[in-house]
Amino acid sequence: MNYFLSIFQTISTLIIGMSVTLGHMLKIRKGNVTLQYPVERWPRPERDIGFSPDSYNVIRSRLTVDMDDCIGCLKCERACPVDCIKIETHKVEKGEDITEANHTGVTSNGTTKRLLLTRFDIDMSECCYCNLCTYPCPEECIFMVGGPNSTRHEIDYEFSEYDRNDMIYRFSKVPPDILQSYVQENK
Amino acid sequence: MVDFYINLFSSIEFIKSYQSSIFIISVVLAGIPIFGFMAVNALVAVYVERKVSAFMQDRLGPMGHGVGLHAGKWGVLQTLADAIKLLTKEDIIPDSADKKLFLLAPCIIFIGSFVAFAGFPFNEFLVAADFNLGLFYILAMSSVGVIGIILAGYSSNNKWSLYGSMRSAAQIVSYEIPAALSLLPVVMLSGSLAFKDIVFAQTGSTLGILPNWFIFNNPFMVVAFWLFFIAGVAEVNRTPFDLPEAESELVAGWMTEYSGMRWAFFFLAEYANMFIVAGVATIGFLGGWLSPIPGYFDGNIWGVFWLVSKTSFLIFVMMWFRWTFPRLRTDQLMRMCWKFFLPGSFFVIIGVGLWDLIMR
Amino acid sequence: MGIKINNQNTHNSSDEEMVLNIGPQHPSTHGVLRLKTITDGEIIKKITPYIGYLHRCFEKHCENLTYEQAIPFVDRCDYIGSMNNDFGYAIAVEKLMDIQVPEKVEYIRVIVAEMNRIASHLLAVGVFGLDVGAVTPFVYCFRDRERILDLFEMLCGARLLYNYIWVGGVSHDFPVGWVEKTYEFLDYFEPKIIETNDLLTYNKIFIERTADVGVIPPEVAISYGVTGPNLRGSGVKWDLRKNETYSIYDKFDFDIPIGTGAMGTIGDCWDRYYVRIRELEESLKIVRQALDQMPRQGDIYESMPKKIRPNAGHIYSRTESPRGDLGFYIESDGSATPSRLKLRSPAFTALSCMDEISKGWMLADMLTILGSLDIVLGEIDR
Repeated sequence: MNYFLSIFQTISTLIIGMSVTLGHMLKIRKGNVTLQYPVERWPRPERDIGFSPDSYNVIRSRLTVDMDDCIGCLKCERACPVDCIKIETHKVEKGEDITEANHTGVTSNGTTKRLLLTRFDIDMSECCYCNLCTYPCPEECIFMVGGPNSTRHEIDYEFSEYDRNDMIYRFSKVPPDILQSYVQENK
Repeated sequence: MVDFYINLFSSIEFIKSYQSSIFIISVVLAGIPIFGFMAVNALVAVYVERKVSAFMQDRLGPMGHGVGLHAGKWGVLQTLADAIKLLTKEDIIPDSADKKLFLLAPCIIFIGSFVAFAGFPFNEFLVAADFNLGLFYILAMSSVGVIGIILAGYSSNNKWSLYGSMRSAAQIVSYEIPAALSLLPVVMLSGSLAFKDIVFAQTGSTLGILPNWFIFNNPFMVVAFWLFFIAGVAEVNRTPFDLPEAESELVAGWMTEYSGMRWAFFFLAEYANMFIVAGVATIGFLGGWLSPIPGYFDGNIWGVFWLVSKTSFLIFVMMWFRWTFPRLRTDQLMRMCWKFFLPGSFFVIIGVGLWDLIMR
Repeated sequence: MGIKINNQNTHNSSDEEMVLNIGPQHPSTHGVLRLKTITDGEIIKKITPYIGYLHRCFEKHCENLTYEQAIPFVDRCDYIGSMNNDFGYAIAVEKLMDIQVPEKVEYIRVIVAEMNRIASHLLAVGVFGLDVGAVTPFVYCFRDRERILDLFEMLCGARLLYNYIWVGGVSHDFPVGWVEKTYEFLDYFEPKIIETNDLLTYNKIFIERTADVGVIPPEVAISYGVTGPNLRGSGVKWDLRKNETYSIYDKFDFDIPIGTGAMGTIGDCWDRYYVRIRELEESLKIVRQALDQMPRQGDIYESMPKKIRPNAGHIYSRTESPRGDLGFYIESDGSATPSRLKLRSPAFTALSCMDEISKGWMLADMLTILGSLDIVLGEIDR
């Protein structure tokens, strides 16, 4: 008896399973979930996110720094769990513009800067996109592009490079020839 | 086709005397279209399999879109690109492999299905070699491949391959028996082993509307059809019986160490075997090249169309199985064969015999 | 020629036995795990799991990281259930610092943790199907899991490694429209469980492959320290969400599914699988209740400490992650970094009973059993 019962169970359950797959096959136009990537793209996450959208950076994409606002406090460097942010500073006259080094003395928030940033490198190949560096920043100058920050930097989800070194983004605005003099002075 | 060529060449005056070369040339001329058909069959079947699997899984499968280098609209060029890739790929022979056997194995597997195709009729006339033992010949030839599988597994000197080939040998040898036994009712009803006679026995109509195919002949034949079809699926190593290659257990089974061209031969043979199994089921149970509406759309060209479309439907069912079911275990596979399929086919033989005796 | 048997490493070697190295690169080892298997034909004689291919020095590394900085690394331990890992870690540090988080934060945490449990179980179910040979259920499960990941991306910007639950709070409040979309997902997902049942759970071939296979008797499970769905599959009603209620799990009405041996013996692979299917339903229930009860207003940053500097002391706290009993032992010396952090991994204990339960089964069954244990190598190797 069990013998015939098991034959019956096998046939019936297999037919049920086959009807499920056939149903999906026939309704492929409705059920399709594939996005044909370069032509179609997934909808970007909602821009109006959270109860006060300005208060935080939600989109986790490429890290960007607004160098005019950076005061070189090293808080982001310390917050980074993988040490992908590398900052070097050089002491300059407080609040003074240095045009040859593209240095502004006062940030957009009104803070006077004491330091010239000779190096601000972010290695995006090391970055773990944890977003921890953006919170301690007193000037809100380091941020992940897109989302609420889309007014400050255009959205950039798809960045890839052929060379690993190209993933290191150098944000320092100091021209290389002048940079040399600062580095020597430090020594 | 071979006979046709031999007659043709024999009728030409100045080459009539070279009998042996006429035979060889005729065989080659008849073989080339088979090879072409096998290649086209694999190309189309792989594409269809990808699309079927994709649609069953809510995906789109290979697609080409927009500008740039891509696989054409709906990805139709995908398998062609795959074929080019396989042909141009580096041919790797493992250091510790038994080189001669390693090279021999794909040839045997390919030749097995190629030779089986020789006896396969596409319509009344379109058959490479017309035997009066066609059914028996195909059943015999389609199991030649197992030697190649064992050789491939043994010569690779890889434990996964050995497992795969061991499983495969046990499986194919076992499932030969129910497959052959469940074809016996067909032979009983038609009284012949030749494909031509089997199909001719199915002409006409039954119960008024249905075509007089063997599957509609009596209820036992329906069982016989499914027994043969499922045993055939097991013989060509498709899911749920794909234990020899079982990618989640044995990585790729007996073809783990093969790559490029040689692997392509395995692939070609697999899809050719699928076609043969589905084709034999079509001829034996579904009326072969006869039209589903008796009396209409019959003829040689229509015959090829009906045969290929019925066979394609059965191949689709195989794909449908593959993308729905989990895989069986070795002992369950054997149990299914010896405890369910073998008694089942005996039961069907007796049933068909009694039915035929009483109803006639 | 033929197969060279390496006799040096075999245990009680004879000519019949063969050493088969499954992994580190194998489709069914769920990561980089190597199983040294001694086989006799298809029969398994002995299994020795070799772990450590994914070792990242998580525990030692944490001694050099501040408490906030450790969270991205906690995420990466069990990368399938990151939210639950964060949850466990946050609870441990909060206990150490005596922080009481606001009610709204508790609700948010429970919702995201249960959503992540659904995602994790979906992966477990789908991959288990793949181990048994069914490809399509796997794709269906991934399709639904993708919806959850989309919700998480909307919530915190990341799809897999969230860094969302922080000590004393969460990183973001629910964005506008998130709650509605989650309700939408719940409505969408309920029928999909039935579909999976039709396609896989009650499939006769699947039952044949999984029922009676790899039975973990309750006493063996307890003695090996197996927890989570694997323990419940053996018929032991033990769930930290009920037995040692943490957070606000006492406010919700949900069952603890246990293995009943419906298709074979209690504690077989099918039971473990089915417990996960049932837990999907229970998690859906919890998420629905939590969304209904959640206070809509409130400050999520209220209890978040400015500086995490716990007093000297130590704490062991455990939570129920999708894989089982996830424990954190943290020892603080009063500085900004923990002086010792230990993670008690549920997948590790599940893997440890592998040899005991898969002896005598076939090679194919061994991979079924491994799949039913639902291990994540990121958590085992740490």
